[in-house]
Amino acid sequence: MKTQPHLFQRCRLSALALWLGLALAGHALAESGVLIRTSDLKQKPFLDATTTGSVASGSNVTITSRQGAWLQVKSANGQSGWVKLLNVRTSTGTSSGSVGGTLGTLGKVITTGSSGTTVTTGVKGLTSGEVTSTHPDPQQLNKLNGYATSSSQAAQSARSANLSRKSGVPDISPTSTATPGSNP
Amino acid sequence: MRHTLLALALSATCVMPAQAANLNDILNQLGNNPDLVNAIGSTVKNFADANRNIGPQEEQEIGNGLASNMLGAAPLVNDPNLQRYVNDVGVWVASQSGVTGINWRFGVIDTNTINSFAMPGGVVFITKGLLAQLHSEAELACVLGHESTHVLRHHHLRAIQSASGKDALSSALQGVVAYKGNQQAQQIGANLASGFSEVYVRGLDKSDEFEADINGMVLCARAGYNPYALPAVLQTLDALNPQDSNLQMMFSTHPSPRARLDKIDQVVGDRLEPWASGTENTVRFGAATAHYTTSNR
Repeated sequence: MKTQPHLFQRCRLSALALWLGLALAGHALAESGVLIRTSDLKQKPFLDATTTGSVASGSNVTITSRQGAWLQVKSANGQSGWVKLLNVRTSTGTSSGSVGGTLGTLGKVITTGSSGTTVTTGVKGLTSGEVTSTHPDPQQLNKLNGYATSSSQAAQSARSANLSRKSGVPDISPTSTATPGSNP
Repeated sequence: MRHTLLALALSATCVMPAQAANLNDILNQLGNNPDLVNAIGSTVKNFADANRNIGPQEEQEIGNGLASNMLGAAPLVNDPNLQRYVNDVGVWVASQSGVTGINWRFGVIDTNTINSFAMPGGVVFITKGLLAQLHSEAELACVLGHESTHVLRHHHLRAIQSASGKDALSSALQGVVAYKGNQQAQQIGANLASGFSEVYVRGLDKSDEFEADINGMVLCARAGYNPYALPAVLQTLDALNPQDSNLQMMFSTHPSPRARLDKIDQVVGDRLEPWASGTENTVRFGAATAHYTTSNR
């Protein structure tokens, strides 16, 4: 699989350190991405941080960390800094070379007939057929209902996790447009 | 209908019970769709005409029937701590809509398929497979905010009324009639469930998925999280191999992660940047999910 092992895997032995690490430092990543537009390279993950350079549209970068609306990247020529997360795409495209590896790790997949329909075995999956042909399970529904929480309980739990409601967040119409290009 | 619902949902100060599901609109389609009447038969039509009052309670019962069906295909992960945690996060995020009276129930279902689902009335499922891809509570919160938006804006009802959902509509209608004739949730009838289940196979309207992404970010920001955790999840999905069998259903029912990222880039851009310093992660995320995020890689 294309995805590199991420922090959870590498730090399995020290769960506490892991949580603290995530909470304090964002995610350690080792993914690659491509810039969809020429982007400022910032010293810190903020709009008003010092610009230290620029990465051209179409450049490949290695993503090393993520914070807020920003990705910390390294460019092919060794520059590093922060670029806007939304300026980067991570598609692997249609590289067929990794298909075998992916399927090998996630279950045996048998391709049946010329239609290319795949049937997954060995892994409990949820296919289109299963969703439409299943039988109801009222006991599971009762269980689900039993786990429900009230909004006041959820708010209390959120406070314990140091979360608080933020005011001033605007509604955003899906047909509106952000101002493009003001901060590349 | 859409504008009314939107206006209601967007009114942050407005406190009200969940809006009535517009299943009535489905029934109304009988009037201008003779093919449909032929398909379901005049007895069903007459019954439907006489029983078109379907309110929030009934919407919830229908959602319960669908949830029960989904759980028949993939049961809940047997981990009460995880399930309660997901409810704590989900209800916190969904309640930022200001809409009250929805019986929210969130659950992690036991399948490696990477997906999440919303049912009319307030049930939201995330699969163990998707949970395994998440890095933080902010990412979880944004995914749940996306699904909650489908519930808040009745997107399933719109999908079932769309032209591509004709068969589903016919099944749903027969199911509504069966349901109205027998007020027991477990007797909703295979027709209704299969009608709506079609929606889970076909997917919702693309525009509704984009709307759910954008409003999911807004809810996430109001709940105190970094809203850019949503595009972060999409980048993770975008980096996965699209041939992966566990992704097939998500990819067949949603616009591609790349198209969703492009839409967020175009519509949201920097507009939520002031809230990007919100919470990324919590200790409780690690405590509740560590087992799943490490074991499914």
